[in-house]
Amino acid sequence: MAIIYKNLREHIVNVIPLIILYYLSISEIDTHFSNFFEILSFNLQIIIIYYWMLKNSSILGNGHIFFAGIINDVVMGLPLGISAISYLTVSFVASYVRQVTVNISLFTDWFTFLIALFFSNLVYIILASNFSNIQVSFVEISYNAFFTFLFYPFIWMIFNFYKKIMILRIDD
Amino acid sequence: MSSSRDDFGIAIRSALLKKGARQKFSLVFLLIVALTIFFLDTYQFKFIKVTRTLINDGIYRLTNISTAPFKLLPKINLSIKETFLATKENKELKIELEKLKSKEFQVEFLKNQNDNLKKILESDVKIKGKSTLAKVLLDKDSPYLKSIVINRGSKSDINKGMPVVDGNYLVGKIVEVNYLSSRVLLLNDLNSRIPITFGENSAQAILSGKGKRKPELEYLPELYVPRDGLTVFTSGKDGIFIPGIPIGKTEIDGEKLKVKLFSDPNQLSFVTVQLIKMKKENF
Repeated sequence: MAIIYKNLREHIVNVIPLIILYYLSISEIDTHFSNFFEILSFNLQIIIIYYWMLKNSSILGNGHIFFAGIINDVVMGLPLGISAISYLTVSFVASYVRQVTVNISLFTDWFTFLIALFFSNLVYIILASNFSNIQVSFVEISYNAFFTFLFYPFIWMIFNFYKKIMILRIDD
Repeated sequence: MSSSRDDFGIAIRSALLKKGARQKFSLVFLLIVALTIFFLDTYQFKFIKVTRTLINDGIYRLTNISTAPFKLLPKINLSIKETFLATKENKELKIELEKLKSKEFQVEFLKNQNDNLKKILESDVKIKGKSTLAKVLLDKDSPYLKSIVINRGSKSDINKGMPVVDGNYLVGKIVEVNYLSSRVLLLNDLNSRIPITFGENSAQAILSGKGKRKPELEYLPELYVPRDGLTVFTSGKDGIFIPGIPIGKTEIDGEKLKVKLFSDPNQLSFVTVQLIKMKKENF
């Protein structure tokens, strides 16, 4: 009984970041606070993907990131696949950083997150402006990227605290 | 030098191809799939159009259900506040009731008169024609698109390009139609362009969304002197919108002439789609 409870608890705790990722993609609960401050918007999905792919790739998985991107496109009315590509780019940078770094601190994470954010937005802008009818507002995207970068340390600290209560599997 | 280049290559290859114990797909495989879906969707292949319609309907319903608890929270909060207020008000009302009883007949007379006047006022600006009422399923605000999703689709004879109004005021037009749902592009979206008319001289201009709360007026007549507080109406020059639908009031903002919309695009819960007969889809 104790083992079943322990396994169940471990499973629930480990699956929560994935649930948050899907929920943010599927729900109206967004991180665009134009009602409070017109330019304030940030992309929490990208932070979640980057953090967990960097720390423990088994928590999210590329397949789930892909599906979360597709769902996000449907909800936002964007061309199918554009968010998936953008999210997978972040996942790729995180995987690469995980391969080549040994000592991980908030500042190394924050700096490398900037690279992931740059490539993610670059891919989005290239695809949206060259292959679809969507008009892209570079200023809005820049504000979004800036605030996403700015909020990363706060979310990093929350996730780091959460990670401590997780029973981590051996990272593959 | 050569060793560091090798390390870089190995790390890239590993990040792209390594699946790991718990992952079924490699990153490169998923990137190829996502790119394929993107290009199929962008170039409007018929089968992906049908698939997207089905996915849209399913996910919109799911989104509506998943956000229902959060929509309930303000209502619960409001009902608690109302209960406290009601108790307080009840005491005050009992005292006032006696006073009001004496004025009852006078109030009733004034109320009837007021109602009749309101009806007369409303009938002057009513938009005529067939229409359907729709509930707003999704109004996810995004830095990229300002749009809402409504619970009426091709089943309710909705077509692309149909005007959408809130009460008597224009809020946008249909840009995507599914079987049970549709997407409305709001007036403040970056892609929105509406021909309008305003002022005593019936000046013509284009109402252009900028992604902000207030859209701007573009292509104004030459030497036009901007003025505050003029009501902006649709001109119907595009052959899509009925002429004379009220949109908002002009507002001077520096050198720009903006329009304060009558209907706040962030506060929509029910809208009406004007079922205008169209020769072809207008979008």
